[in-house]
Amino acid sequence: MSAVARDAAEADPIAPSGSSSTYLLVPITLFFALLFVAVLRSPRLVTVSGLGSAIIVAVPLVLATYALMASTIAGRGTVDLSVGPLIGFINVTLIQIHGAGGLQSEAAFILYALASGVAYQVLMALIVIFVRVQPIIVALSGYLALSGINLVILPRPGGTAPEWMSTWGAGTEVLSPVLVILLIATAGWLIFTQTAFYGHLRLMGSDERAAYTSGVRITVVRIGAHAISGLFAGLSAICFTALISSGDPNQGTTYTLIAVTALVLGGASLAGGRGGVVGSLLGAVNIYLITYVLATFNFGAVQSFVTDLAYGTILVLSLMITVALPFLQRHLRFVSPLLYFVVLSVLTLGVILHAGFDYAHLAPMPRAAGSNPDVFIFEAPGTYAEAAQGSRLAKPIVFALLVVIGLTGSLRLLVQRKRPLSLSPVVFLLAAGLVLLGIYAIKNPQRLGHLLGPAGIERAS
Amino acid sequence: MSIEAGFRPVEPPLARWIGFLLAAAVAGLGIGFGIYQGLPAQEIILFGVATFALVAWGVRFYTARAPIDVVRPEENAPIAPARTAGGDLRIFIGRNRLLLGTALALIIAFAIASFTVTGFFTVVTVISALVLLGLLILAMTVSKFVVDNRSAFVGIVVLVGLFVIGAINIRGFSSAFNIKSMLLFASFLGLACVGQTLVALLGGLDLSIPFVIGSANVGLLYIIGLGTPPWLAVILIIALGTLIGTINGALSFRLQGQALILTLGTGFAVSGSTQIITSIGSSFAGNVFGTVPPWLKNLAAMNGSTFGLKFPPAILIWVVVSVLLIVGLRNTVYGRYLYALGGNRTSAARLSISERKYWISVYAISGGVSALTGCLLLGWSGGGFIGVGQPYLFMTLAAVVVGGTSLLGGAGGYGFTVIGVLVLQVLTSFLVGMGLKFEWQQFIFGLLILPMVALYARSPHVRSQI
Repeated sequence: MSAVARDAAEADPIAPSGSSSTYLLVPITLFFALLFVAVLRSPRLVTVSGLGSAIIVAVPLVLATYALMASTIAGRGTVDLSVGPLIGFINVTLIQIHGAGGLQSEAAFILYALASGVAYQVLMALIVIFVRVQPIIVALSGYLALSGINLVILPRPGGTAPEWMSTWGAGTEVLSPVLVILLIATAGWLIFTQTAFYGHLRLMGSDERAAYTSGVRITVVRIGAHAISGLFAGLSAICFTALISSGDPNQGTTYTLIAVTALVLGGASLAGGRGGVVGSLLGAVNIYLITYVLATFNFGAVQSFVTDLAYGTILVLSLMITVALPFLQRHLRFVSPLLYFVVLSVLTLGVILHAGFDYAHLAPMPRAAGSNPDVFIFEAPGTYAEAAQGSRLAKPIVFALLVVIGLTGSLRLLVQRKRPLSLSPVVFLLAAGLVLLGIYAIKNPQRLGHLLGPAGIERAS
Repeated sequence: MSIEAGFRPVEPPLARWIGFLLAAAVAGLGIGFGIYQGLPAQEIILFGVATFALVAWGVRFYTARAPIDVVRPEENAPIAPARTAGGDLRIFIGRNRLLLGTALALIIAFAIASFTVTGFFTVVTVISALVLLGLLILAMTVSKFVVDNRSAFVGIVVLVGLFVIGAINIRGFSSAFNIKSMLLFASFLGLACVGQTLVALLGGLDLSIPFVIGSANVGLLYIIGLGTPPWLAVILIIALGTLIGTINGALSFRLQGQALILTLGTGFAVSGSTQIITSIGSSFAGNVFGTVPPWLKNLAAMNGSTFGLKFPPAILIWVVVSVLLIVGLRNTVYGRYLYALGGNRTSAARLSISERKYWISVYAISGGVSALTGCLLLGWSGGGFIGVGQPYLFMTLAAVVVGGTSLLGGAGGYGFTVIGVLVLQVLTSFLVGMGLKFEWQQFIFGLLILPMVALYARSPHVRSQI
């Protein structure tokens, strides 16, 4: 074994946990910081309807960021500026064709959106491959052409989305079809990352020549990356149509800059080779949260200017932190983004509970019969004031969680020093448990009474 | 086999004569239609001479090099001795398949348009289509032999072609007023492109330009409204723009791959903070009211005058800046080092050229010139508007790319960008003259950028990069 190979073998166990996902630390930190502020400023976010509408608004952006991410990974500086106009294009053509009597069935509607997204992206890939012009020029060309033709197809916002879609954009429940689309898209990408094709894609994005010389069929890989990007763009356009439930030739175009920002906030590299759904998701949600947090402050007439300023500043700052990351990484090699995420999410859970209860304690909300305008996800049964006093188990639970996290962290530290044994199953178990608890709480709010000690049980029975 | 043996089709003197005749025919056609349209005599003469010179030069250029090209099939002759006329044709088609395909597509499109749109098939449109076809053939065949500055050649051909077609089709296209207005708008775009070109020479991108233009536009009016002398205010704004540019450069130096997004971020921040500052104490958030001094208006308004001559000084500023930049990039140490850095960082570093210094300085220049553009646009419009720079977000990029400066750095120059700016401007003017709305203009722009760039900026196949 040569010295180089041995070095590589020794360095390898550390690399997968550290190098690629350390970039997630910045978006994770930003996400929770923003979530803290958002929940404390306006606890409505964590009500069922608040979360539902947040999902409706954020999902098109998240999917647009996915679309951008898939083609950006392919390298050669592919920043697909045309993703926004493409979403707008699919949106306006969907509305116009549907209005003219075509695409009446749901399947045809969705298939058309996906197929046109894929068709455009594959065309772009073919131009990049065979005409061999820089991708950013192709994207710029597409941006101008599509945003022009969108206005020709639909000169001003109008039209109506199909009947069956009208409930999608209501945002009254968490588990809406839009969320399902997002989950399918995310899961699809995560499954895709397990394939060899994904390895080829990343190799090509990092170094196209190396990929070519090692026998990767770069033509096929590039077309595949763009086709996936087109799928995401089609999904994004469907969610966008559900959100505005009409056609809009201009609004889709604005997604370009926001999606590029979200992609970079999520820690992806515009040069290619690095990026993923988790980072993109966090980046896009961060963008949404920035707007949300700023909307809770009342800046009056200068609201949009403050939003611009905050956007720009946060973008620049997070990029600056990305520069500092390699230095941090040398000293914090054992930091696992997943563990970090779990720790912070436990903290946030506490904040959400606090915000929910405290808010209620200060001002008990009148509940109109028939409608449930402000159902908190972790809502206790009975009146809010009683619930606030009754949570005896809360302290032990939080304490136990902290102990588990501390143990996991220190174990990880200890073990990492000795052997490259991954403790991620423990972290996964912890995360899964928390998620299950959350789902249980969402599904059966009244059963949560059992967690609240005698007072809670009394009320529940 | 020697080169002489390959001389098969036309002897050089004969080729020269054919070229001369062809040029005379094309120029005569143009002159004939000029007279038919009743254009002023000096314009007809100008166009006639220009088309003649261009066609004659193009043909000469083509035939002077042609024999070398013709030799190649002869060299292969022993391998395939039994060549028929069909084989020759196939080789010809194979070699010019792109050109033939495009020409065929153009003719088909023209035929479809003639049959479907009533009133489309007129003498003027036929001539325009022929000119277009001729230009296409010229651009595609001749550009094979123009090795250096191919983009400039293609750009000039397209520029001349657009101008001729515009002059034939649109009444008043070549009037002094229209040319003046085209030049004025070109000078705004051209100034906005100064920074983008310099930054692109180093392989970076600056998307903060439109935001700096908008902020300078509003900020200048605000500062003048505070009671500052206008000349001081302009200097102050340009200094602030340079400062923003410096910050851009300093921040993006370590993040060169992400310069695109970082400058976008600073752009958002600058435009947001400018609007917040100007909104303080004002009941009209985002709107600044004030009076623009007359000299600033004169600087960029259509009816402005330069030293008694009837054209706005903004054009003169652009010309001076262009000449300085073109000469400076070629002949000064700064310019040469810029190319050295853009071409290869490592070898430039071996010459102890400070990459940081140059990177920051080009962004600083970009910021300063963008602020100047914002000031000039204030003089043109007479009122502050933050969104005045928005069209320049992608237009600067398009002009740089169409001109032929590589976004990867090291190749191109401001002279190319000038051609790119003029092409885009004449195209806009042409499309407006054709009565097309903004969305159609944008659509056609998008479709045209790609083939124009594809004519000269194709990167080599990956197998030839190893």
